[in-house]
Amino acid sequence: MTTAGRTLTAVKLAGLVLAAAAAIAFPWVFSNPVDTNYGVYALIFVTVASAWNVFSGFSGYISLGHAVFFGSGAYTLGIVARDWHVTGNGVFALLPLCAVTGAVIAVPFGLVSLRVRRHTFIVITIAVFFIFQLMAYNFSFTGGSIGVSAPFLAWSPSTYNDPFYYIALGCAAGMIALAWAIRRSRFGLRLRAIRDDEDRARGLGVHPMRVKLAAFTLSGAVTGVAGGVWFFYLTQVQPPSGFDPLFDLSVVLMAFLGGLGSIAGPVLGALLIEPGQLYLTARVTNGYLSEILLGSLFLVVVLFMPRGIVPTSADWLRKARS
Amino acid sequence: MNAHGGLLGHPVKLDILNDSSDPTQVDTNYQTLIGADHVNLTFGPFSSLLTAPASSVAARYGYAFVEGAGGAPSVFDTPSNQAVHNVFDVSLPIKDEMVPFVNWIASMPASQRPKTAAYPMADDPFADPPVQLAQSELQALGVKTVYSKIFPEEVADYKAPADQVAASGAQIVVLGSTDVPTVAAFMQAFEQQHYLPKMFIAAAGPDQGAGFISAVGKGNADGMMVPDGWYPGYDNASSQALVREYVAKYGGSPSSMSSDVAEAYSVGQVMAQAVTATGGTDNAKIIAYLHSGVTLTSVQGPVKFDSLGENGVSDAFVFQWQDGGTQFNQVLPVSAAGSVAITAVKPAWAS
Amino acid sequence: MAREIYQAIADGILVGGVYALMAVGLTLIFGVLDIINIAQGILVVLGAYLSYQLSASLHLDLFLGLLITVPAMFVIGVVIHWAFIRRLRGRERTSMTLLVSYAVALIIEGILYQVYGPDVRQLNAWYVTSSVHVAGFYLPYIYLFGFALAVVLVAVLYLLLYRTGFGRSVRATMQDQVAARLIGIEVNRVAAITFGIGVAVTAVGGMVYGATNAFNPNSGYDLISRLLAIVILGGLGSIGGALVAAVFMLTLESLVDIWSPDWATVVFYAALVLVLVIRPSGFLGRPQGRTA
Repeated sequence: MTTAGRTLTAVKLAGLVLAAAAAIAFPWVFSNPVDTNYGVYALIFVTVASAWNVFSGFSGYISLGHAVFFGSGAYTLGIVARDWHVTGNGVFALLPLCAVTGAVIAVPFGLVSLRVRRHTFIVITIAVFFIFQLMAYNFSFTGGSIGVSAPFLAWSPSTYNDPFYYIALGCAAGMIALAWAIRRSRFGLRLRAIRDDEDRARGLGVHPMRVKLAAFTLSGAVTGVAGGVWFFYLTQVQPPSGFDPLFDLSVVLMAFLGGLGSIAGPVLGALLIEPGQLYLTARVTNGYLSEILLGSLFLVVVLFMPRGIVPTSADWLRKARS
Repeated sequence: MNAHGGLLGHPVKLDILNDSSDPTQVDTNYQTLIGADHVNLTFGPFSSLLTAPASSVAARYGYAFVEGAGGAPSVFDTPSNQAVHNVFDVSLPIKDEMVPFVNWIASMPASQRPKTAAYPMADDPFADPPVQLAQSELQALGVKTVYSKIFPEEVADYKAPADQVAASGAQIVVLGSTDVPTVAAFMQAFEQQHYLPKMFIAAAGPDQGAGFISAVGKGNADGMMVPDGWYPGYDNASSQALVREYVAKYGGSPSSMSSDVAEAYSVGQVMAQAVTATGGTDNAKIIAYLHSGVTLTSVQGPVKFDSLGENGVSDAFVFQWQDGGTQFNQVLPVSAAGSVAITAVKPAWAS
Repeated sequence: MAREIYQAIADGILVGGVYALMAVGLTLIFGVLDIINIAQGILVVLGAYLSYQLSASLHLDLFLGLLITVPAMFVIGVVIHWAFIRRLRGRERTSMTLLVSYAVALIIEGILYQVYGPDVRQLNAWYVTSSVHVAGFYLPYIYLFGFALAVVLVAVLYLLLYRTGFGRSVRATMQDQVAARLIGIEVNRVAAITFGIGVAVTAVGGMVYGATNAFNPNSGYDLISRLLAIVILGGLGSIGGALVAAVFMLTLESLVDIWSPDWATVVFYAALVLVLVIRPSGFLGRPQGRTA
């Protein structure tokens, strides 16, 4: 490696360490629950956006049905806690079950939907999403329109958010590491080959269905865990909130804003959009105006930074240096 | 959280936040209100989706959570309310809403009672309990159920279930609706099918005053019934004062006021009385006070909370649009003060 | 029981006609231009509001008002395409069209809320509430007119696509953009006009929708997923397919409604998934040799 290359890696590494330290220290510095609240939701969505990106960004198959995993994870945690009478910290121990649910759903979901063209895939994911939302309404074990409530945590309000923050941070960090590992691996290469030209990839010996399904399952499992954390934090899941039609569109925007297919992209996108949206809506009371603003923001992003912030900035940096 | 006007006599600042009907946003809003804005008191939102997460944030901080609507059993059933008992609903518990209607049917001699009834219900924790209770009671009175189905709340088209109801020819329709569009859609489909139920009562929608009339038209509104805890002509001093102030401030006529106004105002009144009685805004004291069995007053009548947080002394009333849809009158219970003669048979559709 | 079934079938066909009117524009845009127009739902609502405004201020009959709203929506469509969609290219184009159309939808919705507020409206006319009595059933006029319009519109678009020079250019563009450009077709102009036509047609769907449903700016969301399902089922780009799919899906849903309205909507989407598994290109779609 050249000296310049080594310096760049060192800089990147230092940046990473700094970011990690900042993330860990955040609740101490900003200890007001109002601030850590933004942190919790931001990190949940960092996890989701990264997970979504590992499948959709890398393979090129845009999924608008990830809310299926999110909501299923949420309901899993709620139903198990309710039926097995789990309370307090023990509920966190149930989170791996959310991953299992996500994975178990992803397999048939993927087998059915990954056989079709990309446009059709998008619509199938939407259809499956609605099927799940409607099932949540119709089955009694999901509580119907009432939904499921989380066990009450009698913790002090000033530090209530902190354990959630760290768990969300753990999930996010884990997912980012996973995404990075995949990107560098042969598996990641195969995914990108599929994105670029699936027929040619097949000709080169890649088994598209297996690769896509594996990525889909992983993505679904992690999204399920994020859903579980979200549910326990919010203390309630109902069909329209666990399976929210706008969920996937927000995630697409986050990944896109940051840069589809990159690692840092979805992270950046989620960190900007989720707290930003929550904060703006909490402060700017004209909801209609904020819709217009949000829409305009999307347009600006898509039109002027079509590849996303991270790749575009990398380009600028490269141009500046040359 | 959406509170209407009608402010208390003290310098009270109302911090109102928009929630875009998103629970995540509601959670953030309440944490912001309590943690950053340091509000002293919290009131509840008007939606089944939002009430539970909001009340649980309030419970975490030990805040009283008083609401004007949202008295579904599921709201009091949450783990946080069971632990902290902070949820209070000033209005009638919703499952009792249809009781005056049932009682009226019961008061008829058996031979004169309607024979059949249809119960279409939207899939919502607020719409279903009163209709289901009405169904079981009316069945016990000998009214045959010819249609009873739950339809998705967010359905794009109500024509199919509405046509089924019309095909059943039921003499009574008890519609589990939560908003005006649902009622309007059913009414339109009935009209297209040349079907006129003798009695048509909806859980919500016709109580939205001008909002209802503008959607269905006065002629069609005539005869429509809805349970309500309040109406503009209610013979109660503070209620009349509210009506005068509201019309003075917002224009329109008293009959254009929706019941949401009174519900929200009652919440404020109850809180004001609690604050005055406990001498401050200590929420723990307020919660204890509200649970102490004291009877408070509001524009909707007396308020006394049971251990669950429900208002046990509120009266259920049923209202009806009359006089060609120009008057919204209290009709049931027949013997209650302020009730006028009920239009027993719904007038024909008028378009 | 038989009566309920006939009623359900009649309902399904009639309501299917309304949905076909709303979906035709979408399939045109989706099939020809590769654009996933998430804004279709709100465009229908916009069409409804335009009809409402004309009827409220000028007291124009709803169908007459179409003479104004259709060209107006055509212009809106061309503008949207020219301003936002035209620039999208590259590998991420599919997701970009998704986001752009979602963004446009948000902006339109916000504007509608600002102008009209959240109150629910409905279009009214004599033919909205009256029905014709046929064989013991009541068939509301508005649905009959809507269905007739759907058939007429499908026929007109077919003629446009298959009997005119412009239509040939559109079909060429749909099959292979590069080749089309090579033989001299002004792909951008064709794209813009097609998009405009797609939105113009939606004005009709909007009017009939507004006459058969109470609507407000929020109504777009429920619609778009159903419209997407119908379009995919019918076959992307297939106008006739959209009509067939709409009638099929709505009739199926209507029949299941007899037994349980809650499950009827599930069946709607489950049917979509099932059909796509068996026949991925939809009812009347061509198994395209295009790369996914």
